[in-house]
Amino acid sequence: MSHLSRRDLLRASGAGLLTLTAGGALAACGGSNGSGSSGGDAATGNITVWSWTSAADALRGVVPAFEKDNPGIKVDVQDVGNPAIWDKITVGLAAGGQGLADVLHIGCDYLPGYLEKFPNGLADLSALGADAHKDKFAKGLWPVVTDKDGKARALPWEVNAQGFFYRKDMFDRAKLDPTTFETWDDVIAGADAFKAANPGVGVLGINKPGTPGPDVDFLQSLMQQQGAFYFDLKGDITLTSPECVRALTLVKRLNDAGLVIETPGSTAWRTQMKDSQLGAGPQPSWAAHYIETKFPDLSGNWRLTRPPAVTPGGKRTAIVNTTHLAVAASSPRRTAAWKFVEYALTRADSVNAMFKAGSVFPALTAAYQDPIYSEPSAYYGGQPVLKTFTDLLSEGGDATNYSGDYARALKLVSDAQTKVLVKGGDPAEALQEAAKQLAQQTGRKIK
Amino acid sequence: MTAAAPPVTRPAAPAAVRPAAVRRARLRRRAVPYLLLAPALILFGVFKAYPIISSMLLSLTAGSGSVTHSAGLSNYQRLLHDPLFWTALGNTARILVVQVPVMLALALLLAVGLNAAFVRWRTVWRLGVFMPTVTGLVATGILFSFLLNTKDGAVNNLLDSIGLPTVDWFGDGFWARMAVVLVLTWHYTGYNAVIYLAGLQGIPKELYEAAMVDGAGPVRRFRSVTLPALRPVLLFTVVLSTIGTLQLFDEPYVLTRGGPDNATLTVSMYLYDNGFRYFDFGYASAIAYALTLLVSVLGAAQMRLMGERE
Repeated sequence: MSHLSRRDLLRASGAGLLTLTAGGALAACGGSNGSGSSGGDAATGNITVWSWTSAADALRGVVPAFEKDNPGIKVDVQDVGNPAIWDKITVGLAAGGQGLADVLHIGCDYLPGYLEKFPNGLADLSALGADAHKDKFAKGLWPVVTDKDGKARALPWEVNAQGFFYRKDMFDRAKLDPTTFETWDDVIAGADAFKAANPGVGVLGINKPGTPGPDVDFLQSLMQQQGAFYFDLKGDITLTSPECVRALTLVKRLNDAGLVIETPGSTAWRTQMKDSQLGAGPQPSWAAHYIETKFPDLSGNWRLTRPPAVTPGGKRTAIVNTTHLAVAASSPRRTAAWKFVEYALTRADSVNAMFKAGSVFPALTAAYQDPIYSEPSAYYGGQPVLKTFTDLLSEGGDATNYSGDYARALKLVSDAQTKVLVKGGDPAEALQEAAKQLAQQTGRKIK
Repeated sequence: MTAAAPPVTRPAAPAAVRPAAVRRARLRRRAVPYLLLAPALILFGVFKAYPIISSMLLSLTAGSGSVTHSAGLSNYQRLLHDPLFWTALGNTARILVVQVPVMLALALLLAVGLNAAFVRWRTVWRLGVFMPTVTGLVATGILFSFLLNTKDGAVNNLLDSIGLPTVDWFGDGFWARMAVVLVLTWHYTGYNAVIYLAGLQGIPKELYEAAMVDGAGPVRRFRSVTLPALRPVLLFTVVLSTIGTLQLFDEPYVLTRGGPDNATLTVSMYLYDNGFRYFDFGYASAIAYALTLLVSVLGAAQMRLMGERE
């Protein structure tokens, strides 16, 4: 190094500075601490609500009745957009609540992260009376909205249970009846018959290489059916549990049986459904409406049944997605904000009005009495399609802890699935490796 | 200021200038350059120096969100034992080793071609060569994800029509890296070709004439006249391209997001994931500093190897 001239060094360090700028951009974002929650408990005033697209529209529908019943409170529902809302909430919480709305619409994959990273960012709803509603929501949802001290920090609103949508015409041709499938093994047993009757058609579509984004929703649902996930409720890593290994092994067996077709990118499954290349779709409740409106030509061909269990006699319910309303701790009108949350989410009238307006499937079980959930649907051959979901939710699922490290875990699990489906890797080994890396990155224990 | 002194007492004519005034004038004269530099210095301080120092301090903390604590050098230790960081480094190195030489060789050939006396419509060709450089990255990403689509992309259709096996561009690790190399090369070759073209036009014609008189053919002239004369320009592009590829982010981000199974994960992408997807700013800053070190060392080494001998 002694021969390195001064000029060279200067030039080289200039090059280094270029890189540092990239790091510097990070510095601007990390320094704050969001511990201060200087909010107040005013019961009247103007409150703002952050939500997105159709859910925001649905919420707006509740406002007139709420304002009539609660004079002194005015509600402004803002459609912030998804995914923009996550950045806005993160930035707001990092700034100690500055600039946040009073009521926040938060998904299950973000809520635990906010609770972990900003412990006092969301208001304690138990103190405002939330615990009275504890048993009104589908089983398995309350642990998701409570923090580690058992205090409610949000109320469940939307819930999506997994359903098994299938093409009746295709399964008829193969002389198979999906309503008789007890476990996924029954699906595998019918693989040859299905393929012979429907050449080139897959029962499932998965983006196997996981580019440009992960495609592990199906794998996750298989874990959730068994009451398992990447983390347990304490936050320990459970990727190496027998349930998780069984789930990934099942995906591999379905793939080996030739039932899984490649679905490149994140949108190809729509084309494949439209072009009749997919014989089934394990999809959440929102898909009922989606399939009906997107593929009108296939009217009468689609049906819905409960997903097969992973093990004989195992659970059929997997709660794959929930969203919630929370109150920002920094809100000066926490009581007023809570009143709105309570009004919108704990009354059957409100949640059903929102379901009709924006297809937001309610977590409130009392809502399922409404006749709308047992109406037959012409598109699904006269089947009362929503009843499958309300039945599944009345049975109840298990709580899923997405934890504050879901994004990391999601990536590693997606890598594991790619190893198994594309490179012929062993499911147990791939998950072992993922668990090890996740532990190394997060400092969490492997259980 | 002197305004405090009543004007009556001021001498009518400054026959002998007081020493204080001289000092003030000198001070003022010295301050002028700093005043002129101030905007640049303040901007540099706020937007460069402060973040650079702050990210150094940040790299010594752990945790995310509002729950952070000082962690000494543990982020750097974690980096050494992080298989994904080494994967990212390996990918970056593999892309670098293939991409930079191929791109620069292509750029040089293009530049020599564009500079040839017999070529017509030069401006049109130059524009064509430079055009990819000014194409927006998102547009590039969308364009290539259509072209390289495994099922019905134009590239695979072409391969198929001439009887070659089709390629799983985004499903196979090796080919995903090649896709990134392809896009990078497409995007930056023209930029380097234009730099070489400028360099070529600075080479005195007499050198070529003398070489021709000595009986040198075109290949010999290229080796003995063009290349040595282009040496500083070559060094410049090699160092710049190396730094650029070490910081590779956009292409894999728009094409593959680092997949499949991390085959196209680069150091910068890993930095981004940690900072802006996992909010682990301490670790992301540590990665930034590791990358800085790498860029500095490689940059210095290249200049040492290729620079002019004194």
